[in-house]
Amino acid sequence: MQIQPILAALRRHKAGTILIALQIALTLAIVCNALFIIHQRLVHISEPSGVDEANLFVIGNQWGEQYSTQEAAERIQQDVATLRQVPGVQDVTTANNYPIRGISDDNFITMTPEQRAPTSDAAFYMGDDNFVRTLGLKLIAGRDFRPEEVQNEGLRQTVVPSVAIISKAMADKLFPHGDALGKHFYAMTPNPITVIGIVDVLHRGDVGTWSAPYVGESMVVPTRPAEPYGLYYIVRAKPGQLAAAMREAPKALYAENRMRMIDPKDGLLSYAEIRRRAFESDRGMAILMSVICVVLLAITAAGIVGLTSFWVGQRRRQIGVRRALGATHRDILNYFMTENLLISLGGIVIGVLLTFGLNLWLVTHFDALKLLPLTYVLGGIALLLLLGQGAVFAPALRASRVPPVEATRPA
Amino acid sequence: MFAYYLQLGLRSLRRNPMLTALMVMAIGFGVSASMITYSVFRAVSGNPIPEKSSQLFVPQIDSWGPGLNEKGEPPGALNYVDAMALMRAHQSSRMTLIYQIVLSTLPRDADSVPVSSTGYAVTADFFTMFDVPFAYGAGWSNADDDARAGDVVLSQEFNQRLFGGANSVGQKITLSGHDYRIVGVTKHWNPAPRFYDAWGGSGFGNPPDFYLALNRALDLKIDNAGRNSCRGAITYNGWDQYLQSNCIWLMPWVELDTSSDVERYHRFLESYSADQQHAGRFGWAPNVRLPDVMKWLDVEKIVPPESRISLIVALSFFVICLVNTIGLLLAKFMRRAGEIGVRRALGATRHEIYAQYLVEAAAVGLAGGFIGLLLTAVGMSGVGVLFAPDIARLAHLDFSLIGLTLALAIFATVAAAFYPAWRAAQVQPAWQLKSN
Amino acid sequence: MLKMTHLSKVYRTEVVETYALRDFNIDVKEGEFVAVTGPSGSGKTTFLTIAGLLETFTGGEYLLDGQSVSNLDDNARSRIRNEKIGFIFQAFNLIPDLNVFDNVEVPLRYRGMKAPERKERIMNALERVGLASRARHYPAELSGGQQQRVAIARALAGSPRLLLADEPTGNLDTQMARGVLELLEEIHREGATIVMVTHDPELAARAQRNVHIIDGQVVDLAEDPRFHTAYTAAAGQIRG
Repeated sequence: MQIQPILAALRRHKAGTILIALQIALTLAIVCNALFIIHQRLVHISEPSGVDEANLFVIGNQWGEQYSTQEAAERIQQDVATLRQVPGVQDVTTANNYPIRGISDDNFITMTPEQRAPTSDAAFYMGDDNFVRTLGLKLIAGRDFRPEEVQNEGLRQTVVPSVAIISKAMADKLFPHGDALGKHFYAMTPNPITVIGIVDVLHRGDVGTWSAPYVGESMVVPTRPAEPYGLYYIVRAKPGQLAAAMREAPKALYAENRMRMIDPKDGLLSYAEIRRRAFESDRGMAILMSVICVVLLAITAAGIVGLTSFWVGQRRRQIGVRRALGATHRDILNYFMTENLLISLGGIVIGVLLTFGLNLWLVTHFDALKLLPLTYVLGGIALLLLLGQGAVFAPALRASRVPPVEATRPA
Repeated sequence: MFAYYLQLGLRSLRRNPMLTALMVMAIGFGVSASMITYSVFRAVSGNPIPEKSSQLFVPQIDSWGPGLNEKGEPPGALNYVDAMALMRAHQSSRMTLIYQIVLSTLPRDADSVPVSSTGYAVTADFFTMFDVPFAYGAGWSNADDDARAGDVVLSQEFNQRLFGGANSVGQKITLSGHDYRIVGVTKHWNPAPRFYDAWGGSGFGNPPDFYLALNRALDLKIDNAGRNSCRGAITYNGWDQYLQSNCIWLMPWVELDTSSDVERYHRFLESYSADQQHAGRFGWAPNVRLPDVMKWLDVEKIVPPESRISLIVALSFFVICLVNTIGLLLAKFMRRAGEIGVRRALGATRHEIYAQYLVEAAAVGLAGGFIGLLLTAVGMSGVGVLFAPDIARLAHLDFSLIGLTLALAIFATVAAAFYPAWRAAQVQPAWQLKSN
Repeated sequence: MLKMTHLSKVYRTEVVETYALRDFNIDVKEGEFVAVTGPSGSGKTTFLTIAGLLETFTGGEYLLDGQSVSNLDDNARSRIRNEKIGFIFQAFNLIPDLNVFDNVEVPLRYRGMKAPERKERIMNALERVGLASRARHYPAELSGGQQQRVAIARALAGSPRLLLADEPTGNLDTQMARGVLELLEEIHREGATIVMVTHDPELAARAQRNVHIIDGQVVDLAEDPRFHTAYTAAAGQIRG
């Protein structure tokens, strides 16, 4: 409708116009980036680990005495046997680490022994012949480890594995043609390792951002960590018996051999708790960003209501004059709605620049962030236009109710 | 005059309670979001050892070479061979080597189970270099190190758990089956971030339980429980071969008192690397670094990105709140254009109008500051939602933060009021209240 | 053109009812130039706001151009104001944010007129009031007389049949007032009906007919010159 005269009028109220536009611009920049951060974090939080989280728990077992490799290996065999006897326990495996623990053991992966720049930096799991089954991994090609393949590794010993089961993500990275099974690679080893099995999903131990280029790339070698330090027992409970198994398992272990340490805080964790801890800061970030978005939108809306109310108050007389000259309720309502729309559009033009500027700055300073997809900016624009129109509606409605007789009131 | 302005300001604020509430809330939210995130940022980015941070340095030697090092930078720790070579060279006034260990403690009654305890294997200079405060006894001497003595220093917290806080100096303690002599008990000491283990750890956490003589730990083949990083094909088999490998895990620190000492030490590192090159151990030119504490924390990116991002977002949020406040103050002041005209006609100078409105803004700022303080206090208890527990507990509301909150709120609001007040002061004197 | 019969307007507050107009009768013929006079608070302005459909009335009947306006909704009233009525206010009531051209354009915008026609009408109206050269100026840059002429141009631009003027010279000095009045007379000669509220007897004397309002009722003086003289004296006293 009457865009040109509205613009003309706005030129006479530069300060207020610029302030609202600026506020919309800044809000757009922050909200778009915050929403995107929230989205990224939520995607991160919901990454699949590949394991049967509902029925798994992990015991961090440290030895109370310094054992030789042989002693440790025997203790481990005994512990596994003990754990299998615990009511509610379905399966047990030994490991040096477990998915989404928060920290990875990782090995550079090369295709030849001479290659310097690694093809991958895969998460490195030592597992036994029960590892795949216990964790509930989905073996999509090849076979599981055989018991005789599993070797014990002691203090700073390098047991060179000759076979490995790798995740599909790693298989695809190493062998993009889909023919990984039976092929070889090097994992900081002097001799090649043969791929004997491929599992669908096996998350890395770490959930950090440094490993983003290697996301989901994990390998398992048939090794038992018989080091003096200790190891992890990953235990799978029978369906519905997780709590009972978690209660009984440490008791059984201590009863068998009390020279061990299971940390009261971190030694016994269900996978639900592991997941909660792993993504604590992501969830925190998502919450912070959500709170800031909501408060920010509320304050921007309140600011628009405040300034528009002031404008309406200031222009009561000219609204009256317009009404006297034939403007209908709707004309006045439209006037203020259109005015807000124009200011918002101006703010959005600046805001889009700011949005991408802020995003670029964040991307260059924090590896954690990615470039903003256009849909977020479009969504943000729609959100702010709606917010502006919503905020201006009440004062505009009040303006439309200014009676025409206002024009004749003495100044 | 100030009192009069304040009185006018308060009256004016009461006249538009909604507008005033809106401004106060905006300032309050903005200031508290900034303060909460700042309190965390302050905690994680602070100088953990301000009195000595510019005299403590990390000697970095590129022992991996091009293609295997950290994008051209030397790795963040030393392998055993280089670490021992630097120790033997005695080129700095003090030097220590550090690695993290986890040992078991067996409480003295027979039925109990062992407890895991975490500490560091360190050399004698650790305590003097880092000004570790002692409750009882002291650290061991360099001579003890040379004698490969089994000395241990307990932290206050560990001594409390094991000995009920009594003076345990001179007593024996069994850790993972070996006996050690307690030579000292520290007072509470837990620099945040834990700069000396910034490469290996997150930088924040509970204080360690003990500090053990490094040479004895090596003799007993106590494995490194902290970070370890190797390159190329791993061929070592067993502890002794591991010590000769290219795996880095020993954290070195040197104390250098003057800038000429720093230069000299830097030259020493270069000549050491050059010697290694000539000896054929390194196949590349010397590549060394010598960062001090604050530089090192920066290199190790010890400040969590969450802390930085949330501070930036919170500050931007505050800026928007201020833009909002400028708009609302402008509305508020200009609504009284008529009143200003009459005041001017009655003899108020521009300057006085200016002052009157700035005082009014300061009152808004103060109220916003108090709301902000309230929200900050509430938010502090929610910091645990945002950050890992190790970091969250570092954030706390102290006097300096309270002062900063109020000062920031008032300063920012007055700054925001400059333009609206200037506009108000431009109003021409007039004899009547004329509406436009 | 404008006919009110037994019209009343009551302002109600919680305690009292005040009659601004009671049993008010007036009949303005097409093409007349009527001056409405009366002391302060007599109901002159109320009459004008009701005549201009700026306010509703409480009782009686009002025919504007033969059409009863009692039951019109707000939109219809807006439409009539826009198409049939032109307003000239004492305080000019130009929109300070808009320049002269845009001010004159306001009612034409609401009529939904196309841009070329709007422009033609605006320039014609501004030429009539002698301000075509000031089209890009803002109200604050014009003298009071010029502002009132812009207001008249704004009223004329829509070619209204009825022009309502409320103390059109009240804020002007004598010379400017004379110019404005001559303009109104010229417009009247061209066929517009004009109703002008004023308390200035000299101004009223130049109208074809005077309607005097006292206590919300009409006392028609025009047919009796003796009353006219008496009123002039009385008005003089009141003003003195």
